[in-house]
Amino acid sequence: MVVCVIALVVFAILGIFSARYRKLAKEAFECTFKKLTFKPCDTGLDTRIKAATTAKLMRWPRAAKFMHKNFDTITSILFMVMIISMAWSGYEAGKGVYNYAKFGNCNGPDSSAFCIFNIAGAEQQRMGAVSCTATDCTCVTPKINCTLEGADYTPCSGATCTCPK
Amino acid sequence: MLPETLRFDFPILQKRIAGKPIIYFDNACMTLKPTPVIAAMDDYYENFPACVGRSAHKLGKLATERYAKAREKVAKLIGAKPEEVVFTRNTTEGINLIANCFNLKSGDVVLTTDKEHNSNLLPWQQLKEKGVVHRICFSKPDGTFDLESFKKNLDGTVKLVSMVHTSNLDGTTIPVEQIIKLAHANGSLVLLDAAQSVPHKKIDVKKMDVDFLAFSGHKMCGPTGVGVLYGKFELLKQLKPFMVGGDTVKTTTYTSAEFLLPPEKFEAGLQNYAGAIGLGTAAEYLQKIGLENIEKHEIELNKFITEEISKIPGVKILGPQNPELRCGIISFVVEGMDMHYIAQLLDNLENIAVRSGQHCVHSWFNANKVPGSVRASLYFYNTKEEAKIFIDTLKKICALR
Repeated sequence: MVVCVIALVVFAILGIFSARYRKLAKEAFECTFKKLTFKPCDTGLDTRIKAATTAKLMRWPRAAKFMHKNFDTITSILFMVMIISMAWSGYEAGKGVYNYAKFGNCNGPDSSAFCIFNIAGAEQQRMGAVSCTATDCTCVTPKINCTLEGADYTPCSGATCTCPK
Repeated sequence: MLPETLRFDFPILQKRIAGKPIIYFDNACMTLKPTPVIAAMDDYYENFPACVGRSAHKLGKLATERYAKAREKVAKLIGAKPEEVVFTRNTTEGINLIANCFNLKSGDVVLTTDKEHNSNLLPWQQLKEKGVVHRICFSKPDGTFDLESFKKNLDGTVKLVSMVHTSNLDGTTIPVEQIIKLAHANGSLVLLDAAQSVPHKKIDVKKMDVDFLAFSGHKMCGPTGVGVLYGKFELLKQLKPFMVGGDTVKTTTYTSAEFLLPPEKFEAGLQNYAGAIGLGTAAEYLQKIGLENIEKHEIELNKFITEEISKIPGVKILGPQNPELRCGIISFVVEGMDMHYIAQLLDNLENIAVRSGQHCVHSWFNANKVPGSVRASLYFYNTKEEAKIFIDTLKKICALR
């Protein structure tokens, strides 16, 4: 069960980039779903993963034996690590959203560090400080080094802005 | 042992996966295809891809000629007459043909072994609706055929004895000559599932005096999707056709049909001509090697593997322990290890292809409460070197416990 859940998460992420993993993700989902509904997982995915992992370690018989005997424990530990990591990531992301909604920056008040939610700001930060030339332009966030205020703008290369008409 | 030069006939055996050669021990499921068989099929598609028995043009004539020749070659392999060879899709279709055409009535008994492949179990189970009784003759505890049990089960109600000649589960071969004699004395007919015997040993249907015999092309170096049902001509004549349609009749009116004689009467619609031609070539190929030589080669390899496997603690071979009674099949369980896991490891480590599971004999595994087994099945192109790699890898896997 545990290995199927790990496989589901891993293959689902890999599946975004490659169709090869989508099939495996689907299989992992089926296996997880069956286990959750107290039905036997008959896809054999867990066996294949265990065999593939053990086979890689066969050069070192002790390591292979350890993997074979403790596969369930190892996958359970990995599962716990994955859950803790996801929970921590979720907490940090939530904090960022809260900060962004409240202070306009996901890193909290008085921070000028990079914020993923602020696309314009991030882009501007990537390109360096921008000075706007049009008179009716303004910066989206006050932290950006712009001289004009009061309207949206799109920063452009060459340290100038294009402003909406 | 047969010469290893035969391996050059198999293109797949020249290939490597991840730098290692392929060790193919799944021959009870599917055998590899030699170049002459592939070439014969290509020849049909490239040079005379026409209809058989219908068209008067040159290509049609050539296709008809080659199809008839293929039938002759297959007939020669089993010692039959060409008109007694019906091309089917596989063994399953051959058995289903008999189950549907043989005039079984309510109360009639069909007697099988306890190790039947689903192909020789389900057709009889389906006939229960018609009132046909399916009776099972159980094996001895050592896995061999119980002739005494067979005699007890054989009574006046048994109309058909339908048995697996060589079991795909453990390789046991039934004493077919005695069974046929006893069955005929009882007035019963005999159908043999010979999917695992025709490719591996010399079969002479006339000597055996068997009434019907079914086998598949893909288990004897032939193509997939083509098989054979042998039947004594007089018996085939009496059977009603299973599937009807094009090429099974001389003529029709709006209300009636005049059927052709066997085998045409059973080969409805356009057939797998390339497959049949390939099968004919495969039959010829096997005869050139010699079925007796093939059998000897397999038993010799099986002896070596059995001897080595027996030394590994916790490994149990299913069926008789004497390899001479198991042809080229070694079906085993490893205590404390999942069969699919072992098969996966064999494949991952050394490209060793074996089968794992219940091998379509679920009924036996369920009745004996065995979850399944790993099955290594050999053929003439397997070598002692391959057997050694198999044993070494299996030892490594078993050492993981």
